[in-house]
Amino acid sequence: MTTATESLEVVERAKRGDQEAFFWLYRKHQSRLAVFIRYQMSETLRRRYEIDDVLQELFLRAFRDLPRFEYQSAGSFLRWLFQIARNTLHDLARFEDRQKQQAEHEAPLHMASSQYDVAPAYSQTPSRILFQRERVSQLLKDLDALAEADREIILLAKVEGLTIDEMGQRLGKSKAQISLSLHRALKRLRSANEAQI
Amino acid sequence: MSDLKNPISPANSQPAADADPDGRIAEVVSQFLDLQARGETPEIGPFCRHYPDIEIPLRNILETCLKIDQAFEEETSSISFPETDEDERLFHSNPFPGYKLLRRLGAGGMGRVYLAEDERLRRPVAIKVLLPAFAANPSLRGRFLEEARALAKLNHPAIASIFSLGETTETPYFVMEYVEGLPLNETARALPLQQKLHLFYQVLEGIAFLHDHHLVHRDLKPANILVNPQLAPKILDFGLAKPLDDSLRRLTQPGQVMGTLDYFSPEQARAETVDPSSDIFSLGVILYELLTGRLPFAHSDFQRQIESLAHEDPEWPRRINPDLPRGIQDICLKALEKNPSARYRIARDMAEDLARFLSGEFVLAMPSVYSRHLSGKIERHMRELESWNQEEIITRTELNSFRRRYDRLIDREDAWIMEMRQLTVSQVTLYLGGWLMTIGAVLLVLFNFQQLNRHVAVLTVAAASGLVLGLGLQQWHKNQRRMGIAFLLTFTLLFFIGLLVAFNEYQWLSYWTQGRRDLEFLLSQLDFEKTTNVQLWWALLALLPVCYALRRYTKASVFSLELTFMSLLLAGATLLRMGMLDWISKDQGRPFLYMIPVAVVYFAAGYILERLTLASDSRYLYGHAVFVMYMALSGIALFHEPYAQWLKAVFPWTRGQVEYLFIVNAVIYWGLQFLCDHAASIQLLAVAKAFRFVIAGHILIPLWGLGITATERWNKHAALTALKFEARLFEVLLPLAAALFIYYSIARQMKNYLASGMIFLAVGVIRLEEDWLKGHAALPIALIISGLLLMLIVASRASLLKLFLKYRRR
Repeated sequence: MTTATESLEVVERAKRGDQEAFFWLYRKHQSRLAVFIRYQMSETLRRRYEIDDVLQELFLRAFRDLPRFEYQSAGSFLRWLFQIARNTLHDLARFEDRQKQQAEHEAPLHMASSQYDVAPAYSQTPSRILFQRERVSQLLKDLDALAEADREIILLAKVEGLTIDEMGQRLGKSKAQISLSLHRALKRLRSANEAQI
Repeated sequence: MSDLKNPISPANSQPAADADPDGRIAEVVSQFLDLQARGETPEIGPFCRHYPDIEIPLRNILETCLKIDQAFEEETSSISFPETDEDERLFHSNPFPGYKLLRRLGAGGMGRVYLAEDERLRRPVAIKVLLPAFAANPSLRGRFLEEARALAKLNHPAIASIFSLGETTETPYFVMEYVEGLPLNETARALPLQQKLHLFYQVLEGIAFLHDHHLVHRDLKPANILVNPQLAPKILDFGLAKPLDDSLRRLTQPGQVMGTLDYFSPEQARAETVDPSSDIFSLGVILYELLTGRLPFAHSDFQRQIESLAHEDPEWPRRINPDLPRGIQDICLKALEKNPSARYRIARDMAEDLARFLSGEFVLAMPSVYSRHLSGKIERHMRELESWNQEEIITRTELNSFRRRYDRLIDREDAWIMEMRQLTVSQVTLYLGGWLMTIGAVLLVLFNFQQLNRHVAVLTVAAASGLVLGLGLQQWHKNQRRMGIAFLLTFTLLFFIGLLVAFNEYQWLSYWTQGRRDLEFLLSQLDFEKTTNVQLWWALLALLPVCYALRRYTKASVFSLELTFMSLLLAGATLLRMGMLDWISKDQGRPFLYMIPVAVVYFAAGYILERLTLASDSRYLYGHAVFVMYMALSGIALFHEPYAQWLKAVFPWTRGQVEYLFIVNAVIYWGLQFLCDHAASIQLLAVAKAFRFVIAGHILIPLWGLGITATERWNKHAALTALKFEARLFEVLLPLAAALFIYYSIARQMKNYLASGMIFLAVGVIRLEEDWLKGHAALPIALIISGLLLMLIVASRASLLKLFLKYRRR
């Protein structure tokens, strides 16, 4: 992970309107976001959208909201990005529900932004290429082998980078419970990994 | 990292955890992960050695965590922050001779800007560098240089100036003025309106200067307009944002579209080609922000914002800030028109309008949004009115009058002064000016001026009309439609009069009718000194295509009005050439007979135009047709001898009296209004009403006149009972007819029938009292009683109705 000082400086630069700083920040966290989105997308959403669609929408939203982002501590930028990712997925799911109610399944749907042909600069490295990387694909295989609850807690800790406190609040459990479940989940991930090898 | 030495603080340790190794490992793993989450980078080896009892399982778990991190880092580590490296390298190598790089100021779509110091002059400068990635593209590189050179030619206080242009081995760069200041919107926030507008005016001047040099800024936003403490704005970042070809546009688009969408024009957001009017839109957004403190198309949702930008009208500034004067809102909304051609064409036009506002004059801006807004509401209201009409809450007449009034409300921007809803000082002055020119030119036609050289006279009018034409076309191009119309209208008049002046002064076209006083109306009847009818005829003929061309060009209906009126004059002149004066001397009524075909032609032309959905043009033709019809029928009745003779022959009892002819005319008008009423057209409904309007007068006045002559005749020959009967008949007919019109006014909703009926009823009653009922007090008493009865009947209608029904039941 990057040092706190570097993040602060780059975030501040991005907030001042330095687009390259923003692209860089975004690209740095993009793979975590991609993995997160992969597991957070519902079946229906996955049938409709590519992970890259969601990433692109996320990118647009992040860029738009950047002036409102407040740097508090190391990792708060990443957490902010994940919050946007959650909102994006939530909005998409709601949009899908509405579409379903209106029974307009035949019409191919496009992401809000894609119809304006605005492609983020990172589009040369879509999530598929990312997932083909050896270590990433191995990680995904291991995560796939896990139970839903285990995977969720690992994603929170290692992909979103939440503290134990935050995870406790998120899941409504005590710190000790979280620590224990996380530990067990990590142990199972390790054995899953060893079993695969 | 101090935590590492004492990783588990006593407060966090739980005795229960010690008993359960899993719980303890979990606890320590949590500690480690929390450290990471806080942005620290503890190392696994030393960390684990702090817990000898659980070192091995702890290390296993932490290595699993590390693997996850590595999976992501493999991706991220390959991404360096190129700018930082690039900056570093630049600062290190310092490739700009004579300048010392200090720090980076910012980065745009294609370039980067650094603060540097001019080592010789010891002043700060800004150096703009094209990104090396773009510099490799020869067309972009050329464009960058070209823009720099174009900018170098610009010397304007509101535009940051360029000092020099250079090229490193990799990329071109230019050195420009370093501007210290705050963005426009931040500076302006605390200023009073006048100062804000003065500031904005300076910006407009700068952009106008840019547009004058055929440059488009393309990226106007407050961040690109810095204001120094002396409140002088400087515009930065010109024309560099937009690459030439599409492949490159795609590359830079996310940044461009995202970063400044708030100030983008709709066509820019669609990535279409932009021209100065796109800058005008951005200026409109900036002005809007200055006026209201808000952005006109801001939306939290990106997609909604683009939609709003493309389709929605902004909230009117005065609705946000009611203290704003209307003029400045007009300027702002005109700049924010969706259609680029409806905006100010270039910043100079906008600056001029703002200058007008600042000096307290009327602005020329006429944003279409008002009439659009009104027409939306009106459409809805008209639908309501129509349903009210169907439900018989309002009458057809009322509905039509609403429609006409509403049509007026949607003021066309190119309307001429008689169609305008509001008379403004500027408009009235404009037309007064045009009229004075016309009168002046007419004087040259009417009178002989010995001391005036004929060439001078002709040249004066020609120059004036040429100038007015040029200005008119220019105003029209600038979208100052109303002003353009005034000028062009004046031009047509001056053109026509100019031709007459030239014909007169050089004696052109006069030979045709030389010595034929019988063909000259102007020379013989009116005291016109010079102009012959043939000259007039040719001048009119030459004017018609001009009117037609202007109508085609401007689509303004006023030229149709002029065309119609002038062609009517031409018809008159034609009749004169055919020897109308001769006919008049033989038979005064004959010319009027020839007017009927003219009227019919006008009717037909009006009808055709209306079918072609040119309602505003057909309106004028119908108007002229009705007028000519009145003239023709009245003229025939008054002067056309054979008409009276025919009447006398067919109905000898009429004695060919002219009053009867007017009554016949009334019948003709009735027939015409009946025809027009049954044509499904709003214009013809108005025509029908115009015909209907005169029927009452055409019947009641002749009846009155016939009555008087009949009484006189009888007085002369008191013994003749037939005459007595006739006189008495008319005495009775007049009040009866008046009463009929009074009641007919209900069916047709004609108030003039009611008014003239009332008047002639009184006249008729007085005539009765004068003659037939002379000395009988019964009439006034009877009138008073019957009047009272009528009023009571109405007041107690319900009971009368009941009596009536009872009677029927029996």
